Amino acid sequence: MKFCTHSKIFSISLNMSETENNTTTPEDDQTEYVEDGKNKMTIKCQFCGSKILEKKTAKYIPQKKELPLMKQDVNRKEGEVQKEMLDGYYHVENMYIFENIGFTHQVESYKYLICADCDAGPVGYYDLDTKHSYVALSRVIHC
Amino acid sequence: MAKTYDYLFKLLLIGDSGVGKTSILFRFSEDAFNISFISTIGIDFKIRTIDLDGKKVKLQIWDTAGQERFRTITTAYYRGSMGIMLVYDVTNEKSFENIKNWIRNIEENASADVEKMILGNKCDLDAKRQVSKERGEQLAVEYQIKFVETSAKDSLNVEYAFYTLARDIKAKMEKKQEASNPPARSGAHQIKPNDPMRKPTSWLSRCSLL
Ligand SMILES: Nc1nc2c(ncn2[C@@H]2O[C@H](COP(=O)(O)OP(=O)(O)OP(=O)(O)O)[C@@H](O)[C@H]2O)c(=O)[nH]1
Ligand SMILES: [Mg+2]
Ligand SMILES: [Zn+2]
Repeated sequence: MKFCTHSKIFSISLNMSETENNTTTPEDDQTEYVEDGKNKMTIKCQFCGSKILEKKTAKYIPQKKELPLMKQDVNRKEGEVQKEMLDGYYHVENMYIFENIGFTHQVESYKYLICADCDAGPVGYYDLDTKHSYVALSRVIHC
Repeated sequence: MAKTYDYLFKLLLIGDSGVGKTSILFRFSEDAFNISFISTIGIDFKIRTIDLDGKKVKLQIWDTAGQERFRTITTAYYRGSMGIMLVYDVTNEKSFENIKNWIRNIEENASADVEKMILGNKCDLDAKRQVSKERGEQLAVEYQIKFVETSAKDSLNVEYAFYTLARDIKAKMEKKQEASNPPARSGAHQIKPNDPMRKPTSWLSRCSLL
């Protein structure tokens, strides 16, 4: 029986004092989920288990970036999009690396990524300028 | 990076407005968390990975914009697509009649060897039906295109339809490849056209289990 972990508990100690030299610190490179800078485990949807990425296909990057909440408050102001800051993404250079994924229509210079099976999302975003995709570690599970 | 798949097929959903193209691609969902955000933006396309006779096949499935009419869909629209799902609504006579116009449009604008399949969607709405299954089948025979009735609502035959279309595209490509360079003697990779349909995995099934 495989055990899936949800990375709400995900925490990488970013040792700021050591990031001045450009080499990645062991903390970045080697964690519970990351091995040799890549996703050590299979990445799946946290709601339906649909497989999003095979293991070792995406590069971990310690970037902070806002994403719209998966559950928007029904009482929010009209037209308002509630967002949160997320830390840690998988960088997917070519969209065909994905096993199963959905792309929304364009919003500004992004398309949001959603689960291909249950449409839950955003689990990340696709940058139309670079054509690269980014999956937030905290929005998926590792199996 | 090494290629992680054997084939990549671009597929397009085409048909009159309201026949259910988006519903076929987008989950029929009452889940509160999507209604507010994702469904207001809408889905452009999906990437699916399926196993077809031991080959890893990536499907990129595109929805088409609501107000598009066959009059306005031109070459640019079809560019690169290898398979087209022609969708009509079994409760809407007009959408069925228009399939002929869609086929003509494809013939005029898409690449000549694009694979096609006809879907009679909303077959769950039997009480409101205007187009019998037999008429759908007749049309398909007339154009020599495969046909199946689907329900996006009950996710009936949707998965089957995509597997069938993908399988036909793959068979056509392999035939072409073989014609241009005949296979080695080993025979290990021979195509068996009558390979029995293997039961597909949970792909596109709306209630797939972990
Ligand atoms: N009962 C039933 N209703 C369906 C089915 N598929 C779609 N619908 C409904 O039909 C309506 C139109 O579906 P859409 O998926 O938006 O149709 P579309 O082809 O994308 O339409 P356009 O985007 O305008 O071209 C929606 O209200 C759907 O809920 C089905 O299989 N059964
Ligand atoms: Mg639509
Ligand atoms: Zn899902």
